[in-house]
Amino acid sequence: MSSTTPVSVNDVKAAYAAGDPCLAGLLGDATRAVEHFEEALQLHNVRRRAVKDGKIEYGGPGVRIAFIGGYTLSPLSDLAGHCATVFADRTAEVWTGDYDNYVAEIMDPQSGLYGFEPDVVVLLPNRARCRYAGPLGAPPSDIESAAGGVAGEVLQLCAAIHERTSAQVILVNLPLPGGFDPGPFRTTSLGSDYAFSKRVNTLLGLGAPPFVHVCDAEFLANRIGTIAAADIRTWFESKQPFSAAMEVQVAKEIGHIVSSLTKPPKKVIVLDLDNTLWGGVIGDDGLDGIEIGTTSPRGEAFRYFQEYLLELRGRGILLAVCSKNDQANAVLPFTDHPEMVLKLGDVVNFKANWETKAENIRLMATELGLGLDSFVLLDDNPAEIEIVRQFVPEVTGICLGEDPSLFVPMVADSRLFELRTVTSEDLERSKLYAIEAKRQELKSTTLDLPAYWGSLEMVAEVANFNSTDRPRITQLVNKSNQFNLTTRRRTESEIADVESDPATDAFAVRLRDRFGDHGLIAVVIGQIEGSDYVIDTWLMSCRVLSRQVEEATLNEMAGAALVAGCTRIVGVYRPTAKNGLVAGLFPRLGFGTLQAGEAESTYELDLGGFEPRETKILVKGRVYG
Amino acid sequence: MDEAKTYEQLQGVFDDVFMEPVVVTPTLTARDVEEWDSLTHVSLVLAIERAFGIRFHVGEVESAQNVGDLVGLIRKRSGG
Repeated sequence: MSSTTPVSVNDVKAAYAAGDPCLAGLLGDATRAVEHFEEALQLHNVRRRAVKDGKIEYGGPGVRIAFIGGYTLSPLSDLAGHCATVFADRTAEVWTGDYDNYVAEIMDPQSGLYGFEPDVVVLLPNRARCRYAGPLGAPPSDIESAAGGVAGEVLQLCAAIHERTSAQVILVNLPLPGGFDPGPFRTTSLGSDYAFSKRVNTLLGLGAPPFVHVCDAEFLANRIGTIAAADIRTWFESKQPFSAAMEVQVAKEIGHIVSSLTKPPKKVIVLDLDNTLWGGVIGDDGLDGIEIGTTSPRGEAFRYFQEYLLELRGRGILLAVCSKNDQANAVLPFTDHPEMVLKLGDVVNFKANWETKAENIRLMATELGLGLDSFVLLDDNPAEIEIVRQFVPEVTGICLGEDPSLFVPMVADSRLFELRTVTSEDLERSKLYAIEAKRQELKSTTLDLPAYWGSLEMVAEVANFNSTDRPRITQLVNKSNQFNLTTRRRTESEIADVESDPATDAFAVRLRDRFGDHGLIAVVIGQIEGSDYVIDTWLMSCRVLSRQVEEATLNEMAGAALVAGCTRIVGVYRPTAKNGLVAGLFPRLGFGTLQAGEAESTYELDLGGFEPRETKILVKGRVYG
Repeated sequence: MDEAKTYEQLQGVFDDVFMEPVVVTPTLTARDVEEWDSLTHVSLVLAIERAFGIRFHVGEVESAQNVGDLVGLIRKRSGG
């Protein structure tokens, strides 16, 4: 993504031969851009060699991916493994099931599938078993119920996999046939292969539980053309599911899905101004000289880009500005140009100065309380992208280049801002951060902290885990990194199990104040182990840090612990690269050290004579008894 | 296209597909090259089809015993 011309296989080979330190980045860029199977495989081979030579190292724990389905699954599994490794920055270990043996592999608890203990299972149901067997002229309701039956069976297989492994399931749906036969019936009857497959795909998507992630082969095949996506010859020769070109598309999509399951989502777009949001340089060309709006084709393209950014903002992505400009010049188009789509109120953090963008983005991360890896810089200047890549490599840089009509497709195809589980809080997030910025201003003018807390008129509501909060709780459990004592991830169904476990005290905290509603911001899972209340999980959204929510949460734990007959609370801290913030939390809250270790430290708080910590928060707690 | 030219162009395809240099000769087989596994074989066939602008018929490639047979096939399918 560092340049606007795609990185080729030969660039990667040359970088490998020259020992280029950017090899891993180039390999990622080339894999994102690759279309031809043989080139994809060459990238796969370069990666394997580079890893063997120690020229590339993929961080994080490996991810175990099993492929099962109604076809010969290699070489698709090899290619998808490559894409997953490169996109997720983790080594993918691949296990491939036998040709058309998936039902047995799923049903038999002794099968190799379960022996492999996969993190992710990719399922390609056999198309031949997903056809409508009756006559084309059958009543639509009959065909509809047959489609429901087919989709239901496939989803049941997915559920069985998840039940036995807790693995996430990537379900590859059905590409539509490209042949003309059966003519008009293709659309006038639901029973044609074309219409029936389409219907089954719709039902699979609508019925997919949270642990099933659809790899939309129908869409991918349409994108490259149904003719190009199929190759009957390879079916006869080696029972391949797709044409070679389509295998590349499916492999890349699987890689993107695995990456989206393992990497934290992007939350902030940092925008350059001159030649990114408008044409020209505001400092030189002035308000009348810049190109934005319907007066010129270039101006229209910039306007369209701004509209797209606003749409992303609506999805919960934060917009920030970082520009080498004088502040007064930089804000002028936002305040005074009638054709500007973006207004100052749409921007949560505005930095126009002459410091480096690397420094500015670091500062933004601190101010917004977000990790650097949630930032994406969009800039027309490749040099700025390079500097940021070098000094803050956690930040993703997209070089927009010189043609503004390409900006939207470039960002839209980056796969960085796709919606996952949408919660209503996501959509509110932008507003929350803007309010938080105002609150920070208030804080800087108020020296007396308790008075400041009091002035916020905070109200916290505590509730046991429940099915309504479950998606948001799952989201927090899986994406909170900084204020997270143990960083234990759980799937939505595991959270559901926690809800009903009698030996567990699991609650969530909501917070609102006079500026707005923060929503659900803290999650605790406490295990009742005899006379101990052990904090299995304690995490909190960083946007409510140092507001006494920690103290209020502790009071709540103590209350629950006493009701359960416990005499002490045991706190666990497991350090990660990102949770240094809470390394000293337990001592700060009055806990004594039980055992200090590198991988894990434990702390204890005796509940004999426990006095609730005083806070300025009005807590609406749970009712016991 | 004469046979020598076909070999020359095929050498270019091999240079792209294989990481190690492999000299194309009529008697060369997959067994002679460590890198030439089933995965690379699929890749090689696709690269040949693209480089020569041809499409092998179903089952043809499987019947080729060595590079000499493969060149014969390429020439047959490219009408030369």
